Amino acid sequence: MIRRVGIALVALWAAAAMAAPVLAPHAVDAQFVDLQNAPPSRLTMAGARIAIHPWRLVNRLEQQYAVDDAIAVPLRWFSGGHLVGSSDEARAPLLLLGTDAYRRDVFTRLVFGARTSLALAAVSALGAMVLGAAAGGVAGYAGGGVDDVLMRTADFVMVLPAMYVALALRAAMPLVLAPATVFALLASIFAIVGAPFVARGVRAIVRSERRMDYAVAAEALGAGAGRLLLRHLLPAARGYIAVQLTLLVPAFIVAEATLSYVGLGFPDPVASWGTMLHDASANVRVFADFPWLLSPAAAMFLVVLGLNLALEGSPGGLRYDTPR
Amino acid sequence: MRGYILRRLAFALFLVVAVSSASLILTELAPGDYASGALGMRARPEAIERARERYGLNRSLGEQYRDWVAHAVRFDFGTSLLYDRPVRELIPERAANTAVLALTALAIATLVGLPLGVVSGSRSGGAVPHVIRAASVVLLSMPPLLTSLFLVFVAARTGWVPIAGMRSAAVPEGGAFVDLLKHLVVPAAAIALPLAAMFERLQAQAMRDAIVQPFVVATLARGVSRRRVVWRDALKVALRPVAAVYGLVVGTLLSGSFAVEVITAWPGLGRLMLDALGARDVYLVAGCAGTGAVFLACATLASDVALAFVDPRVRE
Amino acid sequence: MTGHARIVRRSIAGLLLAGATVVSAACGSPNRAGSGSTPPAGQKSAPTRGGSIVGSVRADPASFNRLVAADRTSELVSVLTQAKLVRVNKTTQQVEPWLAESWTADRDGRRYTLTLRRGVTFSDGVPFTSDDVVFTFAAVYDAKVDSVLADAMTVAGRPMEVVALDPQTVSIAFAAPFGPGVRILDNLPILPKHKLEPALQAGTFAKAWTTSTPPADLAGLGPFVLHEYMPGQRMVFDRNPHYWRTTTDGAALPYLDRLTVELIPDQNAEMLRLDAGQLDVMNEDLTPDAYGQMKQAARDGRIQLVDIGTAIQADSFWFNLKPGAFDGDPRAGWLQRDELRHAISMAVDRKAFIDAVFLGAAEAVYGPTSPSNKDWYWTGTPTVPYDPARAKALLASIGVPPGARFSVLVQRGRPRFERGAAFIRDELKKVGLTVDVVALEGNAVVQRLLKARYDAAYFAPTITDTDPVNQQDFFMSAGPFHLWNMAQAKPATDWERHIDELMQRQSASTDAAERKRLFDEVQRTFVEHEPVIYFAARHLYVAVSSRIAAMKPADDLFPVLWAPDEIAVRR
Repeated sequence: MIRRVGIALVALWAAAAMAAPVLAPHAVDAQFVDLQNAPPSRLTMAGARIAIHPWRLVNRLEQQYAVDDAIAVPLRWFSGGHLVGSSDEARAPLLLLGTDAYRRDVFTRLVFGARTSLALAAVSALGAMVLGAAAGGVAGYAGGGVDDVLMRTADFVMVLPAMYVALALRAAMPLVLAPATVFALLASIFAIVGAPFVARGVRAIVRSERRMDYAVAAEALGAGAGRLLLRHLLPAARGYIAVQLTLLVPAFIVAEATLSYVGLGFPDPVASWGTMLHDASANVRVFADFPWLLSPAAAMFLVVLGLNLALEGSPGGLRYDTPR
Repeated sequence: MRGYILRRLAFALFLVVAVSSASLILTELAPGDYASGALGMRARPEAIERARERYGLNRSLGEQYRDWVAHAVRFDFGTSLLYDRPVRELIPERAANTAVLALTALAIATLVGLPLGVVSGSRSGGAVPHVIRAASVVLLSMPPLLTSLFLVFVAARTGWVPIAGMRSAAVPEGGAFVDLLKHLVVPAAAIALPLAAMFERLQAQAMRDAIVQPFVVATLARGVSRRRVVWRDALKVALRPVAAVYGLVVGTLLSGSFAVEVITAWPGLGRLMLDALGARDVYLVAGCAGTGAVFLACATLASDVALAFVDPRVRE
Repeated sequence: MTGHARIVRRSIAGLLLAGATVVSAACGSPNRAGSGSTPPAGQKSAPTRGGSIVGSVRADPASFNRLVAADRTSELVSVLTQAKLVRVNKTTQQVEPWLAESWTADRDGRRYTLTLRRGVTFSDGVPFTSDDVVFTFAAVYDAKVDSVLADAMTVAGRPMEVVALDPQTVSIAFAAPFGPGVRILDNLPILPKHKLEPALQAGTFAKAWTTSTPPADLAGLGPFVLHEYMPGQRMVFDRNPHYWRTTTDGAALPYLDRLTVELIPDQNAEMLRLDAGQLDVMNEDLTPDAYGQMKQAARDGRIQLVDIGTAIQADSFWFNLKPGAFDGDPRAGWLQRDELRHAISMAVDRKAFIDAVFLGAAEAVYGPTSPSNKDWYWTGTPTVPYDPARAKALLASIGVPPGARFSVLVQRGRPRFERGAAFIRDELKKVGLTVDVVALEGNAVVQRLLKARYDAAYFAPTITDTDPVNQQDFFMSAGPFHLWNMAQAKPATDWERHIDELMQRQSASTDAAERKRLFDEVQRTFVEHEPVIYFAARHLYVAVSSRIAAMKPADDLFPVLWAPDEIAVRR
């Protein structure tokens, strides 16, 4: 049951990401004049219809707004290729989560950002999992010299700051990077950087599982190394890998913003949750005055929670107790 | 066992050399160098060239690297271009500051995260495991930058603890040690909270796996209390995956979490590394990366040795 | 009355007078129209001696030797601990006597004779004489030192000849007649010969006074002395008991007993500290985003918000005009043309730009100086109207194809520039130009600019002085800061040659009106070809704690700390 809730959460976000052009009322780079860091649109029920009350600028420098109750623009559903929108964009645009510092709609950027960030995190996590499981599995199985070399390589990858590599890499690239190129580069870097964490845990598990009866039996029956690893040993690390997934996904989403500091980020106006949060934290007023800018954190929370629930299911726990 | 440790030490040395060299080379490959960065756009090209010559930056990459290695084997890691002081002097003072912060955060994260993980992994019902899981996921979804900023914000609003820095300018009554503890609160919390969440998740999963093993049922059937089974017998097994990554965590922590150090103005290694990279101070970069490698190597060695004790089957 | 009472009365009167002077200076900067700093709230009495403040910077100093270090923090240390022969008062932009108490010029403005103040000693008690001046100049021009200030201290490409006529008199000769005269001496802090001569003679001057030098080995003529430096954390400065400057009545300066400079890399943390009362002076002026919070704090009485007018230069947008930079590029036909830049200037709605990037707190600017530079702004600077239709026509006339594309370089992590570039990109889309904004890391940007491997860039070079004499490296074609085509061997275009001639004449002329006329002509030529497009000069707001009772805020690298000896706190 809990597992289903988790899968539903993840599926919901994946669907939202895929349906972004329909779900979002605006384009990702649409700007709203005189609405910088504006709060979410005030919605009221006018009879049976929902209406938007626009914000009016009170003080530009202090970024203060007041609701214009006199104007009530009704919502419009299923038109213009969008699920929902305002029937009069010029007077009262629909800003479900307010605007950001560039006067763009946060909700739109949130759903489009889901595409970028979730895709990047998924591909990177998959890559890290495959690389890490392979390295950890082989290391744990073979032991000895192979184990040492693999683990020390993993140590090297872990301790070498990715920033240095990214900076040098960026210099070798042309000045203008297409979003697809950036995606490929980031996914590769993340997969490589994330693999050692997976590898270490998998190695430890495979090492101990290798000596278990079932593994010894399988070997005695003639199972080769590959079969042993893939069918018997690695599945034992399933739980660990699942946890690593829920740790790596949010880390990757955030790391995209960090790497953008060395020029390896998605170019404006591509939306991504990492960059949105980074821009939000540039303004110290965000906690007190502009909390809607932190919506990507809430979105990330839901995604990671969903992943967690889906992968772990209900807490196993000790079903038995000492008989009294 | 002794052969194992010796082999690991040899590899550790190799790791330090490899990481320092790679960092130095990568920084050289990065656009710009110290001379153009320090003198800036306003300087004449000839002045920048003269500065390059003075610092030896106009030599080929191979020559610079060989020179560095020749000095490094005699434990002379060069003079920092940015601060004009020997790298050997600069790093220990900053590394000590980061160590204080990292170890404090680690202690908090371990003491909070592991027990919570045991609890949430061993309970079968009730709200407790769900609440713990939700809290962990919240902490894992927050970027470290945001967490630090939020804690600084709270510290500023409430005034309970100092907002930033490591020590106060004037030692207040209560002594220097209490002052240090107060300054530690915000940065250590910023690092410890997500770390505790990670430990909790790992431990919970490991505990869940351990608890369904036959020996647990058998022990219970022998009449051992549930509490003892969970906290003694199952835990011994469940600690292994965490122990496997513990060394990793310690090692990477000690290199300094630069986001936290920047926001809370903690004078640590992470900040130094960032400043060094921005300035293209190749010797300082190599030194910092090498220090990180030393920490990681020691920490993973310690954790592998500990793992060998905890799990005798691994000890070959 | 008794002598004692007389002294007390005179001291009080002196303090009141000094206080009034300071307050009136802080209240009004006669050269800045429409601005004028708000007097500190609740200021009623004269500044009192004593107290301490906390300021902040972002990074550690590279060195305590100002002659070899060019970073901001080293400059701050120099401002606090050292003194120059003359000082440019940043609130009035006029030259003031400083270590030199008076000077005379010979008829053609080539030789100045400066009379140094008597009885001045360094912070360690050793007397200051003309030998120190000669020594400092020798150090600046020394080849082994390769000082970063050497360029700023050359006139007509040659160093000055400095001779000590007697312990209190110095003669400075320029290689050619030099209009600005002693103003150029505001760039050079005077160093103690008795501390640094051995290093200069041994050839190790460049390595002298590194940050590991014990504070006791440093000495200066400034209002403060370095007491302690904790790397990565803070620098603590104590009052210099030997400081030569006094208030007009004779009371000793500085007012403060101690000035602590904290190292706070993050601007948000810095603001929170100011708000919480743990900081008194910020590192730089406020970003528009921060204004709202600071305004609220000011209303609550926690801080004072000071308005120091509009910046003297706007942020710069320029193209790579190096001949041959785009050889083989199909865009070579139009990318370096004047018309392209004129079209861009017309295509951007400056009012909307100011609202979007500066939240309305800026002034539209169309040339290299902004109207707040009262002494030098060319009042004939034409206002470029916002006319996208004309811009489109102009682009078509030089053969810009539909879908034309170029990239703009900005520095990552500076919201003002990222937003500005994004706005320009959006405006240019409406006239058919596609712009890629590329945000790179700081040093990577500098490298590309130095190597001229970019299409266009958007940046804000710092100007240190309103007088063109300190902007030679920007206007002269051979100048290293001639952004669009740096350090040319000979002028690449006729108009650049024309500007070179005008700047040379302007520098040589001793007639102020003539200099102004020539510089107006420079601006006219500049605006005609528009190598750099200017959009808006930002409004400057400075936030300080409510403890500060006296200060002189101005548009400078250090808005408050540029005049550290006159800062006083409420007691």
